[in-house]
Amino acid sequence: MRKLVLISLMLGFVNLSKAQEHVFFTGFFPEFAATKSLKNGQKLNFKVENQEIIFRNLDEESERWQFRHYRTDLMSFYSWSLSPVSSVAGGIFYRFQDGANAFRVVQQFAFLDRNRTFRIAHRFRTDQTFTDGEATEFRLRYRLAVDIPLQGEDLDPGEYYLVLSNEPIFSLQGGDFDIENRLVTTIGKLISKQQKLEYSIDYRTDGFFRDGFRTRLWAKIGYFVNF
Amino acid sequence: MPIFGNGFFILEKMINPILRIVLLGVLILALPRVSFAQKKIEQEKGVKKKDVPSAAVDWLNDAFEGKKKVKWYEEFSNEGRAYEGKFWWDKRFHSVKFDTLGAIVDVEIEIPFEELDESIRASITDYLQSEFEDYKINRLQIQYSGESDDLEDFFDEDENEGIVIRYELEYTGKLKGEISKFWEGLFDHTGAFISQQEVEVRIMDNLIF
Repeated sequence: MRKLVLISLMLGFVNLSKAQEHVFFTGFFPEFAATKSLKNGQKLNFKVENQEIIFRNLDEESERWQFRHYRTDLMSFYSWSLSPVSSVAGGIFYRFQDGANAFRVVQQFAFLDRNRTFRIAHRFRTDQTFTDGEATEFRLRYRLAVDIPLQGEDLDPGEYYLVLSNEPIFSLQGGDFDIENRLVTTIGKLISKQQKLEYSIDYRTDGFFRDGFRTRLWAKIGYFVNF
Repeated sequence: MPIFGNGFFILEKMINPILRIVLLGVLILALPRVSFAQKKIEQEKGVKKKDVPSAAVDWLNDAFEGKKKVKWYEEFSNEGRAYEGKFWWDKRFHSVKFDTLGAIVDVEIEIPFEELDESIRASITDYLQSEFEDYKINRLQIQYSGESDDLEDFFDEDENEGIVIRYELEYTGKLKGEISKFWEGLFDHTGAFISQQEVEVRIMDNLIF
Protein backbone atom coordinates (compact mmCIF):
# COMPACT_ATOMS: atom_id res chain seq x y z
CA MET A 1 0.00 0.00 0.00
CA ARG A 2 2.82 2.44 0.84
CA LYS A 3 4.34 1.85 -2.60
CA LEU A 4 1.07 2.64 -4.30
CA VAL A 5 0.78 5.86 -2.34
CA LEU A 6 4.32 6.87 -3.26
CA ILE A 7 3.91 6.11 -6.94
CA SER A 8 0.66 7.99 -7.08
CA LEU A 9 2.17 11.06 -5.41
CA MET A 10 5.24 11.00 -7.64
CA LEU A 11 3.18 10.89 -10.79
CA GLY A 12 1.57 14.14 -9.81
CA PHE A 13 4.81 16.04 -9.96
CA VAL A 14 7.03 14.17 -12.35
CA ASN A 15 5.76 15.83 -15.47
CA LEU A 16 5.84 19.43 -14.28
CA SER A 17 9.36 19.66 -15.63
CA LYS A 18 8.54 18.57 -19.17
CA ALA A 19 6.04 21.32 -19.74
CA GLN A 20 7.01 22.36 -23.25
CA GLU A 21 5.09 22.05 -26.51
CA HIS A 22 2.05 20.61 -24.94
CA VAL A 23 -1.66 21.09 -25.05
CA PHE A 24 -3.01 23.06 -22.15
CA PHE A 25 -6.49 24.15 -21.36
CA THR A 26 -8.34 25.42 -18.39
CA GLY A 27 -11.90 26.10 -17.46
CA PHE A 28 -14.86 25.72 -15.17
CA PHE A 29 -16.10 22.35 -13.92
CA PRO A 30 -19.33 22.26 -11.91
CA GLU A 31 -20.45 18.92 -10.52
CA PHE A 32 -23.45 17.70 -8.61
CA ALA A 33 -23.95 14.39 -6.88
CA ALA A 34 -26.90 12.93 -5.00
CA THR A 35 -26.68 9.75 -2.99
CA LYS A 36 -29.66 7.85 -1.70
CA SER A 37 -29.05 5.46 1.19
CA LEU A 38 -31.01 2.26 0.87
CA LYS A 39 -31.48 -0.57 3.31
CA ASN A 40 -28.55 -2.68 4.46
CA GLY A 41 -25.94 -0.10 3.61
CA GLN A 42 -26.66 -0.12 -0.10
CA LYS A 43 -26.47 3.20 -1.90
CA LEU A 44 -27.60 4.67 -5.17
CA ASN A 45 -25.50 7.53 -6.46
CA PHE A 46 -26.16 9.88 -9.33
CA LYS A 47 -23.66 12.43 -10.58
CA VAL A 48 -23.46 15.11 -13.27
CA GLU A 49 -20.21 16.73 -14.30
CA ASN A 50 -19.91 19.56 -16.77
CA GLN A 51 -16.67 20.89 -18.23
CA GLU A 52 -16.43 24.29 -19.92
CA ILE A 53 -13.18 25.43 -21.52
CA ILE A 54 -12.28 29.07 -20.95
CA PHE A 55 -8.70 29.19 -22.19
CA ARG A 56 -6.77 26.97 -24.56
CA ASN A 57 -3.14 27.46 -25.67
CA LEU A 58 -3.92 27.43 -29.39
CA ASP A 59 -1.46 28.90 -31.89
CA GLU A 60 -3.96 31.51 -33.01
CA GLU A 61 -3.90 34.07 -30.22
CA SER A 62 -7.34 35.48 -30.98
CA GLU A 63 -8.90 32.06 -30.47
CA ARG A 64 -7.28 31.29 -27.14
CA TRP A 65 -9.97 32.73 -24.90
CA GLN A 66 -13.28 31.03 -25.37
CA PHE A 67 -16.25 29.72 -23.50
CA ARG A 68 -16.84 26.38 -25.03
CA HIS A 69 -18.65 23.32 -23.83
CA TYR A 70 -16.16 20.48 -23.60
CA ARG A 71 -18.10 17.61 -22.14
CA THR A 72 -20.97 16.66 -19.87
CA ASP A 73 -20.84 13.35 -18.04
CA LEU A 74 -23.77 11.60 -16.43
CA MET A 75 -23.11 8.67 -14.17
CA SER A 76 -24.85 6.42 -11.74
CA PHE A 77 -23.47 3.93 -9.23
CA TYR A 78 -24.97 1.25 -7.07
CA SER A 79 -22.87 0.32 -4.07
CA TRP A 80 -22.90 -2.44 -1.50
CA SER A 81 -21.23 -1.96 1.84
CA LEU A 82 -18.83 -4.67 3.00
CA SER A 83 -18.16 -3.04 6.36
CA PRO A 84 -18.75 0.46 7.78
CA VAL A 85 -15.66 1.60 5.90
CA SER A 86 -15.51 -0.47 2.72
CA SER A 87 -17.74 -1.00 -0.25
CA VAL A 88 -17.96 -2.34 -3.78
CA ALA A 89 -19.87 -0.59 -6.53
CA GLY A 90 -20.86 -0.88 -10.15
CA GLY A 91 -21.63 2.07 -12.35
CA ILE A 92 -22.71 3.23 -15.76
CA PHE A 93 -21.63 6.44 -17.39
CA TYR A 94 -22.58 8.43 -20.46
CA ARG A 95 -20.50 11.24 -21.96
CA PHE A 96 -21.77 14.02 -24.19
CA GLN A 97 -18.82 15.44 -26.07
CA ASP A 98 -18.72 16.93 -29.55
CA GLY A 99 -18.03 13.99 -31.84
CA ALA A 100 -16.96 11.72 -29.02
CA ASN A 101 -20.02 10.62 -27.10
CA ALA A 102 -19.09 7.61 -25.04
CA PHE A 103 -20.55 4.92 -22.85
CA ARG A 104 -18.65 3.42 -19.94
CA VAL A 105 -19.12 0.73 -17.33
CA VAL A 106 -17.26 0.98 -14.03
CA GLN A 107 -16.37 -1.42 -11.22
CA GLN A 108 -14.94 -0.20 -7.96
CA PHE A 109 -13.76 -1.14 -4.51
CA ALA A 110 -13.20 1.53 -1.88
CA PHE A 111 -12.16 1.60 1.72
CA LEU A 112 -11.45 4.16 4.36
CA ASP A 113 -8.72 4.36 7.01
CA ARG A 114 -9.97 6.35 9.98
CA ASN A 115 -7.47 8.16 12.09
CA ARG A 116 -8.03 10.20 15.21
CA THR A 117 -8.29 13.34 13.10
CA PHE A 118 -7.96 12.67 9.38
CA ARG A 119 -9.28 9.99 7.07
CA ILE A 120 -7.58 8.31 4.14
CA ALA A 121 -9.79 6.97 1.39
CA HIS A 122 -8.56 4.42 -1.15
CA ARG A 123 -10.51 3.83 -4.31
CA PHE A 124 -9.71 1.20 -6.93
CA ARG A 125 -11.57 1.29 -10.21
CA THR A 126 -11.59 -0.57 -13.47
CA ASP A 127 -13.63 0.75 -16.36
CA GLN A 128 -14.32 0.03 -20.00
CA THR A 129 -15.20 2.86 -22.38
CA PHE A 130 -17.01 2.39 -25.67
CA THR A 131 -16.80 5.19 -28.22
CA ASP A 132 -18.14 4.97 -31.79
CA GLY A 133 -15.40 4.18 -34.27
CA GLU A 134 -12.77 3.57 -31.59
CA ALA A 135 -11.34 0.52 -29.92
CA THR A 136 -12.63 -0.16 -26.43
CA GLU A 137 -10.54 1.57 -23.78
CA PHE A 138 -9.68 -0.36 -20.62
CA ARG A 139 -8.54 1.59 -17.59
CA LEU A 140 -7.27 0.86 -14.10
CA ARG A 141 -7.35 3.68 -11.56
CA TYR A 142 -6.31 4.15 -7.97
CA ARG A 143 -7.27 7.24 -6.04
CA LEU A 144 -5.82 8.18 -2.69
CA ALA A 145 -7.59 10.96 -0.82
CA VAL A 146 -6.77 12.48 2.54
CA ASP A 147 -9.65 14.22 4.28
CA ILE A 148 -8.70 16.62 7.08
CA PRO A 149 -11.09 18.65 9.24
CA LEU A 150 -9.89 22.25 9.52
CA GLN A 151 -11.67 23.18 12.75
CA GLY A 152 -11.34 20.77 15.64
CA GLU A 153 -10.61 17.07 15.56
CA ASP A 154 -13.91 16.05 14.11
CA LEU A 155 -15.79 17.57 11.23
CA ASP A 156 -19.04 19.08 12.46
CA PRO A 157 -21.81 20.76 10.46
CA GLY A 158 -20.85 24.28 9.48
CA GLU A 159 -17.14 23.48 9.47
CA TYR A 160 -14.57 23.42 6.69
CA TYR A 161 -12.34 20.56 5.60
CA LEU A 162 -9.48 19.97 3.24
CA VAL A 163 -9.20 17.05 0.80
CA LEU A 164 -6.00 16.29 -1.06
CA SER A 165 -6.20 13.56 -3.62
CA ASN A 166 -4.19 12.01 -6.38
CA GLU A 167 -5.27 9.44 -8.91
CA PRO A 168 -3.11 7.75 -11.51
CA ILE A 169 -5.08 6.17 -14.34
CA PHE A 170 -3.56 3.45 -16.50
CA SER A 171 -5.17 3.02 -19.85
CA LEU A 172 -4.99 0.49 -22.65
CA GLN A 173 -6.72 1.15 -25.95
CA GLY A 174 -6.12 -0.78 -29.15
CA GLY A 175 -2.67 -1.81 -27.98
CA ASP A 176 -1.64 1.72 -26.88
CA PHE A 177 -0.74 2.28 -23.28
CA ASP A 178 -1.07 5.63 -21.54
CA ILE A 179 -1.11 7.16 -18.09
CA GLU A 180 -3.19 10.03 -16.86
CA ASN A 181 -2.84 11.65 -13.50
CA ARG A 182 -5.27 13.77 -11.51
CA LEU A 183 -4.13 15.87 -8.61
CA VAL A 184 -6.90 17.65 -6.74
CA THR A 185 -6.96 20.10 -3.85
CA THR A 186 -10.35 20.74 -2.31
CA ILE A 187 -11.71 23.07 0.33
CA GLY A 188 -15.09 21.82 1.41
CA LYS A 189 -17.79 22.82 3.81
CA LEU A 190 -20.02 20.36 5.62
CA ILE A 191 -23.21 22.37 5.44
CA SER A 192 -25.29 19.87 7.34
CA LYS A 193 -24.98 16.17 7.95
CA GLN A 194 -26.43 15.58 4.49
CA GLN A 195 -24.81 18.28 2.40
CA LYS A 196 -21.36 19.32 1.30
CA LEU A 197 -20.13 22.14 -0.85
CA GLU A 198 -16.66 21.84 -2.34
CA TYR A 199 -14.31 24.14 -4.22
CA SER A 200 -11.43 22.42 -5.96
CA ILE A 201 -8.49 22.88 -8.24
CA ASP A 202 -8.19 19.79 -10.41
CA TYR A 203 -4.93 19.37 -12.32
CA ARG A 204 -4.94 16.62 -14.94
CA THR A 205 -2.03 15.45 -17.02
CA ASP A 206 -2.05 12.81 -19.74
CA GLY A 207 -0.35 11.76 -22.93
CA PHE A 208 2.77 10.57 -21.13
CA PHE A 209 3.20 7.78 -23.66
CA ARG A 210 1.33 9.28 -26.58
CA ASP A 211 2.00 12.21 -28.86
CA GLY A 212 0.77 15.44 -27.40
CA PHE A 213 1.42 15.67 -23.72
CA ARG A 214 -1.56 17.46 -22.28
CA THR A 215 -2.44 19.27 -19.07
CA ARG A 216 -5.85 20.41 -18.02
CA LEU A 217 -6.55 22.66 -15.10
CA TRP A 218 -10.08 22.91 -13.79
CA ALA A 219 -11.75 25.18 -11.27
CA LYS A 220 -14.38 22.95 -9.76
CA ILE A 221 -17.43 23.61 -7.69
CA GLY A 222 -19.29 20.60 -6.37
CA TYR A 223 -22.43 20.11 -4.40
CA PHE A 224 -23.06 16.77 -2.71
CA VAL A 225 -26.32 15.79 -1.14
CA ASN A 226 -27.31 12.65 0.74
CA PHE A 227 -30.77 11.55 1.61
CA MET B 1 -11.69 40.10 -31.03
CA PRO B 2 -13.34 40.49 -27.62
CA ILE B 3 -12.94 37.53 -25.34
CA PHE B 4 -16.50 36.23 -25.52
CA GLY B 5 -17.30 37.88 -28.87
CA ASN B 6 -18.49 34.74 -30.55
CA GLY B 7 -20.19 33.43 -27.47
CA PHE B 8 -23.70 33.35 -28.90
CA PHE B 9 -22.60 31.54 -31.99
CA ILE B 10 -20.80 28.94 -29.89
CA LEU B 11 -23.75 28.62 -27.53
CA GLU B 12 -25.96 27.72 -30.47
CA LYS B 13 -23.56 25.06 -31.49
CA MET B 14 -23.43 23.48 -28.12
CA ILE B 15 -24.14 19.82 -28.25
CA ASN B 16 -26.49 19.63 -25.38
CA PRO B 17 -28.36 22.74 -24.44
CA ILE B 18 -31.04 20.78 -22.60
CA LEU B 19 -28.53 19.13 -20.35
CA ARG B 20 -26.98 22.44 -19.50
CA ILE B 21 -30.33 23.84 -18.50
CA VAL B 22 -30.96 20.81 -16.31
CA LEU B 23 -27.59 21.25 -14.67
CA LEU B 24 -28.11 24.95 -14.08
CA GLY B 25 -31.54 24.20 -12.64
CA VAL B 26 -30.07 21.65 -10.28
CA LEU B 27 -27.47 24.12 -9.06
CA ILE B 28 -30.05 26.83 -8.56
CA LEU B 29 -32.28 24.43 -6.66
CA ALA B 30 -29.35 23.38 -4.54
CA LEU B 31 -28.24 26.85 -3.47
CA PRO B 32 -31.26 27.95 -1.40
CA ARG B 33 -31.09 24.69 0.53
CA VAL B 34 -27.57 25.60 1.46
CA SER B 35 -28.68 28.63 3.40
CA PHE B 36 -31.75 27.05 4.99
CA ALA B 37 -29.97 24.04 6.34
CA GLN B 38 -27.56 25.68 8.74
CA LYS B 39 -28.39 24.28 12.13
CA LYS B 40 -25.84 23.45 14.72
CA ILE B 41 -25.94 20.11 16.42
CA GLU B 42 -22.93 18.58 18.15
CA GLN B 43 -19.82 20.56 17.71
CA GLU B 44 -16.25 20.72 18.77
CA LYS B 45 -13.93 23.57 17.91
CA GLY B 46 -10.36 24.44 18.71
CA VAL B 47 -9.87 27.25 21.24
CA LYS B 48 -6.87 29.16 22.51
CA LYS B 49 -5.49 28.39 25.96
CA LYS B 50 -6.40 31.88 27.19
CA ASP B 51 -10.07 31.18 26.42
CA VAL B 52 -10.13 28.06 28.60
CA PRO B 53 -11.13 28.45 32.30
CA SER B 54 -7.90 28.93 34.24
CA ALA B 55 -8.94 26.26 36.77
CA ALA B 56 -8.80 23.70 33.96
CA VAL B 57 -5.37 24.79 32.76
CA ASP B 58 -4.09 24.79 36.35
CA TRP B 59 -5.49 21.33 37.10
CA LEU B 60 -3.82 19.93 34.00
CA ASN B 61 -0.47 21.46 34.93
CA ASP B 62 -0.70 20.09 38.47
CA ALA B 63 -1.74 16.58 37.53
CA PHE B 64 0.60 16.27 34.55
CA GLU B 65 3.64 18.21 35.64
CA GLY B 66 6.13 18.65 32.84
CA LYS B 67 6.46 19.60 29.25
CA LYS B 68 3.54 18.84 27.01
CA LYS B 69 1.79 20.38 24.05
CA VAL B 70 -1.90 20.64 24.83
CA LYS B 71 -4.54 21.30 22.19
CA TRP B 72 -7.70 22.80 23.66
CA TYR B 73 -11.21 22.28 22.35
CA GLU B 74 -14.61 23.60 23.28
CA GLU B 75 -17.35 21.00 22.97
CA PHE B 76 -21.07 21.44 22.54
CA SER B 77 -23.17 18.32 22.89
CA ASN B 78 -26.49 17.12 24.25
CA GLU B 79 -24.80 16.96 27.65
CA GLY B 80 -23.99 20.66 27.44
CA ARG B 81 -20.82 22.61 26.98
CA ALA B 82 -17.38 21.39 28.02
CA TYR B 83 -13.68 21.95 27.48
CA GLU B 84 -11.24 19.27 26.50
CA GLY B 85 -7.45 19.29 26.55
CA LYS B 86 -5.72 16.72 24.33
CA PHE B 87 -2.06 15.85 24.48
CA TRP B 88 0.55 13.10 24.40
CA TRP B 89 1.91 12.03 27.77
CA ASP B 90 4.16 9.02 28.42
CA LYS B 91 3.70 8.04 24.74
CA ARG B 92 -0.06 7.78 25.27
CA PHE B 93 -2.78 9.99 23.89
CA HIS B 94 -4.69 11.75 26.70
CA SER B 95 -8.02 13.61 26.59
CA VAL B 96 -9.00 15.50 29.72
CA LYS B 97 -12.50 16.88 30.00
CA PHE B 98 -13.59 19.86 32.12
CA ASP B 99 -16.92 21.55 32.71
CA THR B 100 -17.47 25.21 31.86
CA LEU B 101 -16.13 26.33 35.25
CA GLY B 102 -12.94 24.39 34.68
CA ALA B 103 -13.73 21.51 37.08
CA ILE B 104 -12.38 18.15 35.97
CA VAL B 105 -14.94 15.67 34.55
CA ASP B 106 -12.79 12.76 33.42
CA VAL B 107 -9.45 11.70 31.95
CA GLU B 108 -9.32 9.31 29.02
CA ILE B 109 -6.16 7.56 27.91
CA GLU B 110 -5.82 5.52 24.77
CA ILE B 111 -4.21 2.12 25.37
CA PRO B 112 -3.86 -1.11 23.39
CA PHE B 113 -6.57 -3.65 24.23
CA GLU B 114 -3.91 -6.30 24.86
CA GLU B 115 -2.68 -4.34 27.86
CA LEU B 116 -5.85 -4.98 29.86
CA ASP B 117 -5.84 -7.73 32.48
CA GLU B 118 -6.84 -11.04 31.04
CA SER B 119 -10.03 -11.28 33.10
CA ILE B 120 -11.20 -7.85 31.87
CA ARG B 121 -10.39 -8.75 28.28
CA ALA B 122 -12.25 -12.05 28.63
CA SER B 123 -15.31 -10.31 30.02
CA ILE B 124 -15.38 -7.77 27.18
CA THR B 125 -14.82 -10.34 24.43
CA ASP B 126 -17.48 -12.59 25.98
CA TYR B 127 -19.95 -9.77 25.62
CA LEU B 128 -18.92 -8.97 22.04
CA GLN B 129 -19.08 -12.64 21.05
CA SER B 130 -22.55 -13.05 22.50
CA GLU B 131 -23.90 -9.83 20.97
CA PHE B 132 -22.37 -9.91 17.49
CA GLU B 133 -21.96 -12.46 14.74
CA ASP B 134 -18.68 -10.82 13.90
CA TYR B 135 -16.72 -7.99 15.52
CA LYS B 136 -13.41 -6.20 15.48
CA ILE B 137 -11.96 -3.98 18.21
CA ASN B 138 -10.58 -0.71 16.89
CA ARG B 139 -9.71 1.53 19.80
CA LEU B 140 -9.73 1.46 23.58
CA GLN B 141 -9.71 4.32 26.02
CA ILE B 142 -9.43 3.86 29.73
CA GLN B 143 -11.57 6.44 31.50
CA TYR B 144 -10.83 7.78 34.98
CA SER B 145 -13.39 9.88 36.82
CA GLY B 146 -13.82 11.06 40.41
CA GLU B 147 -13.32 14.07 42.63
CA SER B 148 -10.87 16.67 41.41
CA ASP B 149 -8.36 16.10 44.22
CA ASP B 150 -8.57 12.31 43.98
CA LEU B 151 -7.91 12.45 40.26
CA GLU B 152 -5.01 14.80 40.70
CA ASP B 153 -3.47 12.51 43.34
CA PHE B 154 -4.01 9.55 41.09
CA PHE B 155 -1.98 11.04 38.24
CA ASP B 156 0.41 13.00 40.39
CA GLU B 157 1.13 10.65 43.27
CA ASP B 158 -0.22 7.32 42.08
CA GLU B 159 -2.87 7.19 44.83
CA ASN B 160 -5.90 5.16 43.88
CA GLU B 161 -8.66 6.44 46.11
CA GLY B 162 -12.17 7.32 44.97
CA ILE B 163 -11.33 6.75 41.32
CA VAL B 164 -13.90 5.19 39.00
CA ILE B 165 -12.37 3.27 36.13
CA ARG B 166 -14.30 2.46 33.00
CA TYR B 167 -13.37 1.32 29.52
CA GLU B 168 -14.59 3.04 26.41
CA LEU B 169 -14.24 0.74 23.44
CA GLU B 170 -14.77 1.41 19.75
CA TYR B 171 -15.53 -1.61 17.59
CA THR B 172 -17.18 -2.75 14.41
CA GLY B 173 -19.87 -5.33 15.03
CA LYS B 174 -22.31 -7.22 12.87
CA LEU B 175 -25.68 -7.95 14.42
CA LYS B 176 -27.60 -10.91 13.05
CA GLY B 177 -29.35 -10.02 9.79
CA GLU B 178 -27.76 -6.57 9.64
CA ILE B 179 -24.68 -5.14 8.05
CA SER B 180 -21.63 -4.44 10.13
CA LYS B 181 -21.62 -1.08 11.97
CA PHE B 182 -19.44 1.05 14.20
CA TRP B 183 -20.17 0.98 17.94
CA GLU B 184 -18.92 2.66 21.05
CA GLY B 185 -19.35 0.60 24.19
CA LEU B 186 -18.82 1.40 27.85
CA PHE B 187 -17.59 -1.31 30.25
CA ASP B 188 -16.95 -1.12 34.00
CA HIS B 189 -13.63 -1.77 35.76
CA THR B 190 -14.22 -5.54 35.66
CA GLY B 191 -15.07 -5.46 31.96
CA ALA B 192 -18.81 -5.89 32.52
CA PHE B 193 -20.94 -4.30 29.83
CA ILE B 194 -22.70 -1.02 30.73
CA SER B 195 -24.00 0.46 27.48
CA GLN B 196 -23.31 0.88 23.79
CA GLN B 197 -24.38 3.15 21.00
CA GLU B 198 -23.95 3.18 17.28
CA VAL B 199 -21.36 5.59 15.94
CA GLU B 200 -22.25 7.41 12.80
CA VAL B 201 -19.53 7.51 10.15
CA ARG B 202 -19.48 10.93 8.57
CA ILE B 203 -20.63 10.86 4.95
CA MET B 204 -17.84 9.88 2.64
CA ASP B 205 -19.60 9.72 -0.70
CA ASN B 206 -17.44 12.51 -2.06
CA LEU B 207 -14.41 10.34 -1.31
CA ILE B 208 -15.88 7.27 -2.95
CA PHE B 209 -17.93 8.24 -5.99
